Amino acid sequence: MKSEILYMLCVVAAVFAANYALRALPFVAFGGRGRELPNWVSSLGAYVSPVIIAALIVYSYAGLQWRTPWPFIAGALTVGLQLWRRNPLMSIVAGTVLYMSLLSCGCVSVPSDNLKSTVAHPLVRVTRFGIKFQDKLVTPEESVKLLVKHGVPKDRTLHVLVDDDFDNQRILWVFKHNYLDRAGYTKSVWIHERRGESGKSDIKPPDGGVTIPYKGRMLR
Amino acid sequence: MGYTTMGFVAGVLLAAKGNVVLAPLWAFLSSSLWITGTMSFAAVPEVAVRAPVATIVLMTIAVNFRYAFYGFSMLERWKNIPVLQKAYLILMLTDENYALETASQTMKRGLHLKYCTVISALNHSYWVLGVTVGAFVVCLLGMAIDPDVIRARTNGMEFAMVALFLVIFTDQIRSFVSHEK
Repeated sequence: MKSEILYMLCVVAAVFAANYALRALPFVAFGGRGRELPNWVSSLGAYVSPVIIAALIVYSYAGLQWRTPWPFIAGALTVGLQLWRRNPLMSIVAGTVLYMSLLSCGCVSVPSDNLKSTVAHPLVRVTRFGIKFQDKLVTPEESVKLLVKHGVPKDRTLHVLVDDDFDNQRILWVFKHNYLDRAGYTKSVWIHERRGESGKSDIKPPDGGVTIPYKGRMLR
Repeated sequence: MGYTTMGFVAGVLLAAKGNVVLAPLWAFLSSSLWITGTMSFAAVPEVAVRAPVATIVLMTIAVNFRYAFYGFSMLERWKNIPVLQKAYLILMLTDENYALETASQTMKRGLHLKYCTVISALNHSYWVLGVTVGAFVVCLLGMAIDPDVIRARTNGMEFAMVALFLVIFTDQIRSFVSHEK
């Protein structure tokens, strides 16, 4: 928690400084009297800024579902509206709402084959709300079915993350022995998050469990 | 209005994708000091994976490079005004304020300065309000609802940042084309 706040403050201060420096630059560099603004400065602004923004658009598209046509459709709507009505708020909201509804319509293909289970990205997670497969709430049966469907190898270690506010030892035991072991996933490793000093919990994962210190996993 | 709405989206996004508990504090600090919507959006995924501070600073310079050119048109107008007022006006030199301030350059000097200060202060408060309330709402919801459900519901909201870039780009190209004519 402490390091998290420290990191947060560092980011706030650093971005503030960089941002303010950019805005103050012309006043510092050309604030004195009698200095004419060179021509190249204004042309630099006119050429370089759009190029940078274009690069940012490409970069940020990589973070979207760019293998599907949806971000491009939503992008076309945004640009079209902005050209037509010149209302930034309307263009942004319309594009975002369209993108969100296209995503939630389930028109998005999620790459489904051969998922890997690692310590950094455990596929199965036990939370106080239930069992989750890749952040989707599932029943124990479904979680096993999904593991098989996604081709998660049975002879490799399967990492199961246990939330630190989960405190039902029995459920963990039943999930391991009645579902995972029976389906052939006998090599399960239970990662139990331990949060800082304050959030110590007494619960121990079933056999073969490890406890890993809290590493800002909430920031996922 | 635009500021509050965009701020709300930014606040919801940063709380939903980041640390739900710390979000309101983070939202308040970043929105009141940065006053840059683009960075508020762009920082969310970077902070979520705890990117190095240097990376985020480089990103700021790239994302907000255009701000370095806004000051030039204000150089003459903002000469010899109180240091604090000038410092504040420079801090508030955003896309929207810049557009309003350049449009109001035909006003008398004294009036123009007052106008700039008032719209800066108003927009500042709208923006901080939007971001903080957005983050706070998600923070409160996060105590009652499963955070993953919130994450799933806000899925796709990150498009707002791309849309913001697209809008800025469209306007830049438009002004570029009209200057060339």
